[in-house]
Amino acid sequence: MTALPRQRSPNPHLGAYYGIITAAFVSLAILLAMFEELGWSEGVIARCMILLPLALYLLTAAGSRTLDPEDYFASGRRVPQVYNALVLAAITVGGVGFFAYTGAVFFLGFDALAIGLGWTCGLLLAGVLFVPYLRKAGAYTLPAFLGQRFRSRHVRMTASVLQVVPTALLLAAEMSIAAVVASIFLPLSFWLAVLLVAIFVAAVGILGGMRALTWSGSAEFIAGAVGLAVPLIVVSVLLTHLPAPQFTYGEMFGSLQSAETAAGMLPVTPGDLAPALTGPAPTAVTKPFLQAFGAINEAGFLLLFFTFALGTAALPSLLVRSGVTCSVADQRRSTAWALALVALFVITAPSLAVFAKLLMFRDMALAPTAGVPAWLSELSGRQLVQASDVNGDGTLVASELLVMRDRVALALPMLAELPFVLTALLASAGMAVALAAAGSHLFTLSASLADDVYGVLDKRPIALPRLMAAWAAIAACALFVLVFLLIADVDILRMAVTAFAFAGATFFPVLMLAVWWPRCSAWGALASLATGFGVLFLVVTVGGLFDAAETAVGTGLASLIAAVLALCAGVGTSLYGPGSASVETAYYEEMRKPEGETIFDQAQARTVSARKTGALREL
Amino acid sequence: MTAQGPETEHAAEHAARDRHQLRTLAVAITTLAAVLCAVIVTIVYALSLNRLWFLHFPLGLYLLAQGLLIFAVVVTFWYVRVQERIDHTRSVTEEIG
Repeated sequence: MTALPRQRSPNPHLGAYYGIITAAFVSLAILLAMFEELGWSEGVIARCMILLPLALYLLTAAGSRTLDPEDYFASGRRVPQVYNALVLAAITVGGVGFFAYTGAVFFLGFDALAIGLGWTCGLLLAGVLFVPYLRKAGAYTLPAFLGQRFRSRHVRMTASVLQVVPTALLLAAEMSIAAVVASIFLPLSFWLAVLLVAIFVAAVGILGGMRALTWSGSAEFIAGAVGLAVPLIVVSVLLTHLPAPQFTYGEMFGSLQSAETAAGMLPVTPGDLAPALTGPAPTAVTKPFLQAFGAINEAGFLLLFFTFALGTAALPSLLVRSGVTCSVADQRRSTAWALALVALFVITAPSLAVFAKLLMFRDMALAPTAGVPAWLSELSGRQLVQASDVNGDGTLVASELLVMRDRVALALPMLAELPFVLTALLASAGMAVALAAAGSHLFTLSASLADDVYGVLDKRPIALPRLMAAWAAIAACALFVLVFLLIADVDILRMAVTAFAFAGATFFPVLMLAVWWPRCSAWGALASLATGFGVLFLVVTVGGLFDAAETAVGTGLASLIAAVLALCAGVGTSLYGPGSASVETAYYEEMRKPEGETIFDQAQARTVSARKTGALREL
Repeated sequence: MTAQGPETEHAAEHAARDRHQLRTLAVAITTLAAVLCAVIVTIVYALSLNRLWFLHFPLGLYLLAQGLLIFAVVVTFWYVRVQERIDHTRSVTEEIG
């Protein structure tokens, strides 16, 4: 018999709260625009635009503090679908999407679209293949789900250890880009900015875990969306007279092609650009936007697409949020809303890149007659571009202007000569999305280490040591990433490619088998996890000596091969090794029932009931 | 009749479960196949499609930058609706059973 779900009502005032938060963010931007007109310095405006929203997010997290394990690990299972979708979208896109993806589209044009398409289709794969079943299972972490599905501590602990690589890589990437933005606009060195970011994300995670991440993450996503939309719409109105950049940037292609040709950009062939995905260092733009398959060929485009799609579908930080809504149907709808939001961002990002490229190279083409554009000194001052007339002919061509990939988004308002407050708004927005994603990655990593490693070893049914273990893990992981960022020179897009490749190769096959094949056994799951991770790890580390997986496309190819081998290993071991127990099959059947309480909560209720019965008997 | 009752009920529950799983599998395959096939075909024929123009965009670029994403969103919401109907049918069948 299926246990009926408990009644879980979301807070009815959420709409009002988030209306107030949105209004506060917009009002702050308007106020600062007025103060800029009154003569406030750019430094003060940037500090207010970045630090005041940070205080607001921290206040939201403090208001969501909790000591209840269900609230801490699953946000009380009462998050409305749209709010969960906001956080899911923030995790998928993150600072990597906001800054590195827009920069990659700026440099590579058509060829970079594989990444955004991969994110969107990955969410579709997750929503159809995994999310509803994970919601019914109700486990607090992805390794816990695998452990419960196969009734195996070994599977749980192995999965927990293996998820460290993709989650930590994404955490480092998100913290790095948030720190870079903070160090540009605040009077902080990079290491102080990293420290600020680490303290912020650790504080949010420690205060309220998943609950605090949900409510502060929703606020951060709203700020991110507003901060991206406003400058982009203003630029769109200036260039196309219409406030819908997604649909009007096509009109600019004629002017863009002329500007690119005037700046000396000629069609390239695959292999001309090394590496195919532009790095973060200042680089000359050499590829025309509209040229298809210039940096990577069709096969490379497909490989990159599948790497991001499989990686997104099996990303632990996304799947860990599968247990936070009220029901299976709500969770499915939540993923659909998240997909719509991510698709909206992916549709919008190329317009930002096209507008930035057009403004930059159109003005450069006019330089011999109209003089050096005014934005050039401003962008150079903020270290967003480097320009030098190498051949001394008095003009600048594309090869003489070096642009930093991750700072293209920040350059747009300056290129359009908009008030500085819009640059600060865009920076604040990007930082907010990066912080939301970083917080979720940190919590996923730490909660898993605490619950799936410490939790498995410590069997005491007391909540506080479990939470204290999570707090300690959060602090330790934040410290570890802080030290890593201080000593390593990171390329956030490359790290994201590697992280998604590891997530896809390690977790996609085992999740497919766990959710869709009742005969998969614990040994099959272990074989799948070990093969997927092991093959890719070998290719990335040892293969690096032989130039294998050195490029993003190479990593994608290795990831797909590893995923296929992992699937074969899981199937082969399940068929020819020890079979699955009847209790595992019963779990599989229960997981597919759409109605009723989560399996985890049913088990918890049975445990509590058994304890009460035992206590009564003792009396 | 009383001896056959639980067995009949069990068989009906199994039939409902199998029907639900088959329909779920069919709708999942349809959804994913529609989107993934569209993506693969567009990538393979992108260069040819780029010779045509749509809303000021080369068609291949338009599909990869916008068209396929809009299609994925539409297909996802269609999937959600159909799957909810399938789940609802199973719940009703189990309640009647």
